[in-house]
Amino acid sequence: MTEMVKKNASELDHAFRYEISQKVGAKSLLKCIQCGVCSSGCTVTEYVDLQPHRVVASCLLGLRKEVLNSNAIWTCSLCHRCTERCPKNVDYSFILALLRNLAVKEGKIPKEYSGTVVTIYENGYVVPYTGGLKTNIDRRRTRMGLPELVPPNLDEIRFIIDETGLGGLAKKKEDK
Amino acid sequence: MEYALFLGCTIPLKLPHLEKAFRDVAGILDVKLKEMEGVSCCPEPVSLQSLNMDTWVTLGARNLAIAEKMGLNILTICSGCYETLKTVSVLLAEDKEYLNKINGILKKIDYHYTGKTKVFHFVELFSQPEWLDKLKSLTVRPLDDLNLAVHYGCHLIRPSKIMQFDHPERPETIDRILKALGAKTIDFATKLECCGYCARLQEEIGENLVEQKMTELCELEEEVDALIAVCPACTTQYDRKEKIIARNKNKELDIPVLYLAEIMAIALGVELEDLSLTNRSVKPKKLIEKLTT
Repeated sequence: MTEMVKKNASELDHAFRYEISQKVGAKSLLKCIQCGVCSSGCTVTEYVDLQPHRVVASCLLGLRKEVLNSNAIWTCSLCHRCTERCPKNVDYSFILALLRNLAVKEGKIPKEYSGTVVTIYENGYVVPYTGGLKTNIDRRRTRMGLPELVPPNLDEIRFIIDETGLGGLAKKKEDK
Repeated sequence: MEYALFLGCTIPLKLPHLEKAFRDVAGILDVKLKEMEGVSCCPEPVSLQSLNMDTWVTLGARNLAIAEKMGLNILTICSGCYETLKTVSVLLAEDKEYLNKINGILKKIDYHYTGKTKVFHFVELFSQPEWLDKLKSLTVRPLDDLNLAVHYGCHLIRPSKIMQFDHPERPETIDRILKALGAKTIDFATKLECCGYCARLQEEIGENLVEQKMTELCELEEEVDALIAVCPACTTQYDRKEKIIARNKNKELDIPVLYLAEIMAIALGVELEDLSLTNRSVKPKKLIEKLTT
C-alpha cells in the first residue's frame, strides 16, 4: 500500500482521464465502478504499490504524477485477466499499456523495458543476430535442416522506429 | 490450405529445435507452409507495446502487409507473435482512421496493409474437428500411458475479444489435441496461472508462480509425465526456473516441460533422436522410457 497522498482540488489534473480515454480502446476507463474484480484476479496484486482498481481511480481523480510514478504500471505481467473479468468491460491491460507510453514520454522507463527496442533497431529481431552470434545461429539451424533466415531490411525497421518516435531511445546505448 | 509461416525471433534464433518439431508435424499433416522473407520481430508485445503503441502497431502491420503481398493467411508458432499480430489486425480493423495513419507511415517504405490477412496459431488450427480426426488417424506412437498437464499461457487465449478462439478461463483446445493423440490431460488448480515471464520488474514474481505450479504438479496423486506449453517464453520459464528453485529450496521438482509441437511430433512418429528432447534443464527421461518400452 502507498502512503496517504493529500492534495488540494487545484492540484489534480482533471484532463488526465481524457488524455487516456481519447485513445481507441481506452474509452472504457470512464465506465469503472470500482468493484475491484480486476484487483482480486490480478496475477501481481500482492506486489504492486497501487492495485488495478486504484490505478483506475487515481486516473479518474487526476493523480497523474502518482500513477505515472507508480511501480504498478510496470509490474503488471499483462496476463489480461483484469480485462477479461471486468463487468463493465474496462480494458485495464490496454489502458495500462497507454499509461506506460505516457510514462515513457516523460522519460520514466525501467531498464528491463528499454533494451528491447535497442535490440530490434540493431537486429530487426528481439534476439541479437549479427557477427559471431549470427554465424552460430545459422550453423545450428543448418545442422537441424532448417531453412535459411532472410532477415528484414534494417533501413525499413529503423525508419518505422524513428518515424513513430522511439528513435532516440533505440539509439541510446546501455552506457547512459 | 497454404499459410505464410511467421516464426518470430525467439523460436528460430534461440530454440530452433522447437521450430524443427513444428515443421516435422506440419509435414506429416501436410500443411503447406511458405517462408516469409524479410519479416521482423512481431514485435514483442510486452515491451514494444509498453514503450510506444504506434511503433508496435506499425512494425506489426508491416509484417501483416508482407503476408498480404503473398496472398496468404499467417500461421504463428509463438503466443507472443500471435498476440501482437492478431491484436494489431483487430485494432486496425476497428479503427479506419488509425489504419490510415499507419498506412501513411508504411507508404514511405512501399508497404500497404488492407486488413485481408487473418492470423492463426497452430493450436487454433489443429484443434478443429477435422484436424483432430487427422491427428488420430496419423498417430503412430499413441500417448496412451501419459498424464499431461497443459499450460495455456495468457497471450494465447486472452483478451478473448481479440483472440476469439478459446474460452479465456476454461480453455480446451490444447487438451483436445493431446487427447486426440491418446494422452490423458489432468485437471489442476493452477492450470490457468500465468508463468510470470513478462513480469520483468520483480524476478520473485516469476519464481513464486513457477514454484506454485510445479509444486502442485509434483504433489498430485497421479504422476504427471510432462507440462505442455505452447509459448517459447512459458516453456523456457518453467524449464529453467524449476531447476533453480529445486536447487535453492531443496525441493524435488522434476517435471519436464515440452513444447506442444514436440509431443505432437513424438506421437506422429518422428524419430526421438531428431527431436533434441534432452535439450532442456529437466530431461524427460521417464517419459522417453514410457514411450519406448
